[in-house]
Amino acid sequence: MNNNPLINATGLKRYFDISGPFTFLKKRIVKAVDGVDIKIYNGEAFGLVGESGSGKSTLGRLLLRLIPASQGKIVFLNKDITDLPERRLKELRKQMQIILQNPYASLNPRMRVGKSAAEGLDAHRIGSKRERLDSVIKMFETVGLKREYIQKFPHELSGGERQRVCIARALILNPRFVVADEPVSALDVTIQAQILSLLTQLQKQFSLSILLITHDLRIVRHIAKTTAVMYLGKIVELADTEELFKNPIHPYSKLLLASIPPAHPKDRKNRTHDPENYNAIMFPQNGCRFINRCESAKTECSEEKEILREISKNHWVACSLNYK
Amino acid sequence: MGHILSIDNLRTYFFTPSGVIKAVDGITFSLECGQILGIVGESGSGKSMTALSILNLVPHPGKIVGGSVLFKGMDLLKIPKDTIRNIRGARISIVFQEPASYFNPVFTIGFQISETIREHLRVSKKEALEATIEILNSVGFPSPQERYRAYPHKLSGGMLQRAMIAMALCCNPEVILADEPTTALDVTIQAQILSLLKKIRNDRGASIILITHDFGIIAETADVVIVMYAGKIVERAVTSEIFDNALHPYTKTLLASLYKLSNKINNVSSLPPEQNLANQKKNCVFFDRCSMAEPACNDEEQALREKSAAHFVRCWKA
Repeated sequence: MNNNPLINATGLKRYFDISGPFTFLKKRIVKAVDGVDIKIYNGEAFGLVGESGSGKSTLGRLLLRLIPASQGKIVFLNKDITDLPERRLKELRKQMQIILQNPYASLNPRMRVGKSAAEGLDAHRIGSKRERLDSVIKMFETVGLKREYIQKFPHELSGGERQRVCIARALILNPRFVVADEPVSALDVTIQAQILSLLTQLQKQFSLSILLITHDLRIVRHIAKTTAVMYLGKIVELADTEELFKNPIHPYSKLLLASIPPAHPKDRKNRTHDPENYNAIMFPQNGCRFINRCESAKTECSEEKEILREISKNHWVACSLNYK
Repeated sequence: MGHILSIDNLRTYFFTPSGVIKAVDGITFSLECGQILGIVGESGSGKSMTALSILNLVPHPGKIVGGSVLFKGMDLLKIPKDTIRNIRGARISIVFQEPASYFNPVFTIGFQISETIREHLRVSKKEALEATIEILNSVGFPSPQERYRAYPHKLSGGMLQRAMIAMALCCNPEVILADEPTTALDVTIQAQILSLLKKIRNDRGASIILITHDFGIIAETADVVIVMYAGKIVERAVTSEIFDNALHPYTKTLLASLYKLSNKINNVSSLPPEQNLANQKKNCVFFDRCSMAEPACNDEEQALREKSAAHFVRCWKA
């Protein structure tokens, strides 16, 4: 692994204005991503976990520049792509792809899946018609689909097969960086295991950099070497995945880990601490954003902003209680 | 403890242009008072159709072609429509997977819950509203006095699922059918909803049928487990017995998937794809996908046999 990250984002922010048409009323802003630094290296699988609304999908889209950033800087392949015009971005787009959550919604129902998978090649005018067909067949075989499948329509396939098509579509341009946004959440557990094995294998085979976005920590553990935990637009803990599982420090990471269903009835847990009536967004302006749900919150937490600090090698935590 | 619900040889078939699909194909089980019974299986195994069949709510082109559902001695499949309307939602209620698509978007959740109460309990609007607020409060709904006026789109997935559970609970039912109640939710909310279900069982003594595809959820909540495949029960036992001593190859595959998920192991043999379920004429439903299959498996119909005390399995090799 060289020392230059493949993608390096600093101070990334994305705010959404949700005030609606009546701008003379109070302006309302959602800070979906609120100051994130993230580095993903060549061939690295990076996990990003958090609940819905934590901004993890927005972050994934920002890194691919599918949506513009409000603030911050994104460097991809040593090029600043934050404000690169679309025309020049197109060349780089070949190198970055996305796999979406719901394979039932992300394939055009009226297009044969072989054609869907070839769209990237068409858009970038790569190869002749014959060559495109060949590379689709080859990619289908790589993801474990028979060549007859290219003639099928999405409704003829099962969920797992559709997700394989989506993976083939993402990989057909031979990208360096893939964002997998909840790639298995819509699938049965048996199929989840298959798709995860496939992703792990492909990641090694093509030495892909993957950003795996999910709310299920079990999935991250399969693929990701490094994992970041996100809460309300900020990374609250960042560590090697195994380290995070063995030694979670931030109370939110602990809560997420404790919420994983057990693998055996003898591991049934007692209720974890998680208040049910809290208003997540109403955290004090100068204080910690997790304060309303935190079981170990102290008075100083409402006065001091949490900062991501390295507490041991490669283990970063944003919690002022665990620093000092 | 007696049986509150006994299902005997229930069969629900779908008559489609491409053939008959046996969604539920002769299943028999009973639910005891105060029990949480888990039904596990992949999508298409007939677990949701079992729940809908119990309440006689099977959608077209499906039909219940045989069997009985005895609820306190009453056969729900034979009683007149008016009678079953009084049972649905009042004495047996159902929690669906996607709360967002089961609430009516143009009415407030408070209205929809109190409507259920007024329909079944014949109380005044005001009393129904008070009951609604109370029930919302008991499922951990924040500030119900204000938020019962919220429209479904105003609530998050977890809150909406709570409202859905509140609606299922509002008439104090004896049986709750929970069909994948946490699939659309975050892990943290899932943990909350599961402990809420356990609390309802403990406080109110309700019996619960919990349908899921995730053995992790079963491990957390269920007392007894039924594993379904292609409309048939392939294994049935007490939860700890299933986890320690699974016998059917399908159950083993499901558990291996969970184990793989939980313990970071890659490349365990994966399950070959599902076959077309229409017009199946095989003696073992799992034959095509089974790693242990051999020609002898198809010689005669595999019956559900009691392998050890209260542990049933539909595989002659087990």
